[in-house]
Amino acid sequence: MYNKKLVDNLTTGQSKLLSSRRRESYDLYENLTKSDFKRIKLFDYQFPEYSPYNKEYLKEKKWQQELLIKKMTDNLNNEEEIINYLEQFKDKKVEKGNQGLDPKYLAMAEAFYNTGLFIKAPRNVELKVPVEIFYELDQENPVLIDNNLIVAEENSKLTIVIDYRMQDQNLKAFHNGLTRVIVKENAVLNIVKVQRFNDQSDNFDSNISLVSNQGELNWIPIELGAKNSVTNNENTLMDDGSRASISSVYFADGERKMDLGFKMNHQGRHSSSEIESKGVLKDRAQKIFRGDLYFQKGAGQSKGSEREEVLLLDKTVDSDSIPALFSEEDNVEGEHAVSAGQIDEQRLFYLMSRGMTKAEAKQLMVEASFNPIFDKIPLNDLKGSVINDVKTRIRS
Amino acid sequence: MSDKTEVKDIDRSLHDEKNEEKHRYKAQKGLTPEVIREISREKDEPEWMLEFRLKALKIYQKKEVPTWGADISDLDMDNIITYVRPDADLQSDWDQVPEEIKNTFDALGIPEAEKESLAGVGAQYDSEVVYHNLKEELVEQGVIYMDMENAVKKHEDLVREHFMKLITPNDHKFSALHGAVWSGGSFVYVPAGVDVDIPLQSYFRQNAPGSGQFEHTLIILEEGANAHFIEGCSAPKYSVNNLHAGAVELFVNKGAKLRYSTIENWSRNMYNLNTKRALVEEDGVIEWVSGSFGSKVSMLYPMSILKGARARAEFTGVTFAAEGQYLDTGAQVIHAAPNTTSTVNSRSIAKDGGHAYYRGLLKATDNAHGAKASVSCESLMLDNESKSDTLPIMKLQTDDIDIGHEAKVGRISEEAIFYLMSRGISEEEAKAMIVRGFVEPIASELPLEYAVELNNLINLELEGTIG
Repeated sequence: MYNKKLVDNLTTGQSKLLSSRRRESYDLYENLTKSDFKRIKLFDYQFPEYSPYNKEYLKEKKWQQELLIKKMTDNLNNEEEIINYLEQFKDKKVEKGNQGLDPKYLAMAEAFYNTGLFIKAPRNVELKVPVEIFYELDQENPVLIDNNLIVAEENSKLTIVIDYRMQDQNLKAFHNGLTRVIVKENAVLNIVKVQRFNDQSDNFDSNISLVSNQGELNWIPIELGAKNSVTNNENTLMDDGSRASISSVYFADGERKMDLGFKMNHQGRHSSSEIESKGVLKDRAQKIFRGDLYFQKGAGQSKGSEREEVLLLDKTVDSDSIPALFSEEDNVEGEHAVSAGQIDEQRLFYLMSRGMTKAEAKQLMVEASFNPIFDKIPLNDLKGSVINDVKTRIRS
Repeated sequence: MSDKTEVKDIDRSLHDEKNEEKHRYKAQKGLTPEVIREISREKDEPEWMLEFRLKALKIYQKKEVPTWGADISDLDMDNIITYVRPDADLQSDWDQVPEEIKNTFDALGIPEAEKESLAGVGAQYDSEVVYHNLKEELVEQGVIYMDMENAVKKHEDLVREHFMKLITPNDHKFSALHGAVWSGGSFVYVPAGVDVDIPLQSYFRQNAPGSGQFEHTLIILEEGANAHFIEGCSAPKYSVNNLHAGAVELFVNKGAKLRYSTIENWSRNMYNLNTKRALVEEDGVIEWVSGSFGSKVSMLYPMSILKGARARAEFTGVTFAAEGQYLDTGAQVIHAAPNTTSTVNSRSIAKDGGHAYYRGLLKATDNAHGAKASVSCESLMLDNESKSDTLPIMKLQTDDIDIGHEAKVGRISEEAIFYLMSRGISEEEAKAMIVRGFVEPIASELPLEYAVELNNLINLELEGTIG
């Protein structure tokens, strides 16, 4: 399974430095124990058998000339550059930082990735159209382990959309991903991630970023699928005026379990961050929201805010919220707010008095809550299909 | 750049006064069944209590020391003398209380407090109550207020029915320890419909080096009863690490209302690992007012279990962590019945490298429909040597609820200072005003005597030192 032999296979034909990184990660992987994610009870979870992913996942467009885009699995001639970028993540200025959702899952992704892109926006490059990446799982490609590295160099501007999806409703698929991001001085990077796996599949996704001086990183994670979904998004605001935001939407119905982790490490002065999460829970769905705002010493005059709104549509849902605020600096402004409850009865009644059915009224109100975030999806087709998905699932 | 607010430590000589040790009996260091038997024999307890203690000891020996939260690895459990009996018998007349003990109490202001408005005084000196008095009218109404040792004997059935039913030795290592070695504390029983209009107060302190204090407080309010209990702690400073692992069990029956106020001001070498729990029946109300100022390490999370429909819990707390202190406190509320409500309001201040940690839990079980809860935590940092953390956990298992939570951390707003200064107030006074305003919601909840102590603490810490 996930053993030395598999690493040897995967490194065949791959460039030298990246191959040795795989091997290092494998050694790590071997010595670690998996987390149980005890709140969603993934005890004795077994990774499914490895399988390669052979489909094309990058949409060909003319922006490929302006950007540097490479497949991490290829034999690359610029691997030194990649390694140099990756080395920056080794300097953990945060205790237990940059570990993704769990060290073992992180090491697994780095040792056994079967896909992944290195995307770099060079200095001063501004891209008007988004980069589109589609990871689609199917019968032939049921396992996705993607290792992505995205770099926005000084003064660049870039939007990336990654769509994790599948058509097959009966397939039991598996995803364990790792996306590392570097945002340099004055660069602006937007990353939209949409996850719509079926309710048989498991999703694990680690996202780690480093944001430099005046750089700006905006995440739009949209979590709609999978049976078990554990995701983590950790951002380190390293320098003066670094900014990061997360606008998250989740919708969990049926027996779905979601464990969503968002973290902002403020290191630089005047750094600012915002976490906004809107979610709906239905049927017997369970979710855990973790949001950490961490103001490290030296992060004077930083600001961070965190807001979670969750709508509970059924008696049988299970909703945990763990917002944390850690501060080692006095001159900061940090705040978080959580609100949880049912749809407001009076508003529901008003809409129903206008001739809507209860289901329609509920749907409208969920849309009203989600749409400001959905509007940040830059692709109309994708946005439309996401909105449709939510619509049909609220009604069912 | 604005100037930092300098806040110095207060002079603790008043509270840190200690008496020469004089004991009739000192338990052997370390914990064995023999020690437990001796404790029980000394107290002349019923057999079931001894059995309970021995059972708890077994659990204690099996349980691990918790690894989350505070670092308590310095705590040498084998060297803590768990039971120290002071050299005085129970007194009902103040004049008969030994001079030396009286002096300490005088310094703490106990007799004056009683003269003013208190219904009864159960002052725990070391591990046993040395002075006890209760106004006659309350006795006539059937109110029982006595030390736990006597309650075990005189009201055996009542005690046996409730003792360590809410906090069991199985909960954690320190509740097991408590079950094995508990000593002293207060027992309050208020019959149905009785309204105790003056607060019941128990002021206790630890005094022997290396001694633990494991007082047990058991309060039972029958249907429609009303009472206010005040607990205050103050202890002198010694070189050996001190442990406090008390237990407070509060039973609030149908329609009853209990207010439980605490000011903890332990000396700064104390490990305060206290457990407090309230069980509230239909339409009952529990109100916690909690001020944590002292100790080296505190881990204290009063829990309200709203078991009956429409039960209500309110928690108002202030935590002040100064140099060398790690105060990990917070409220826990379990909504386990329909239409229950809770309000948690916590303020914390960290200065001179102190570490204030709010750790709370809010849980709504699947039958808590119509529950309403709001949690608000604010932290003020007076310098950037200090640390302030907030971790409020929410677990919701039903849909028909209305939960709101807010938390903030920051320092004194410069705009506010500027505004006050533009009104002719000096910068120092402006800062002091803002900090006083910050803890005002808590100060105003306390009865006068305690508000005075709180005010003294805050004013001394702030006013005298700013500028």
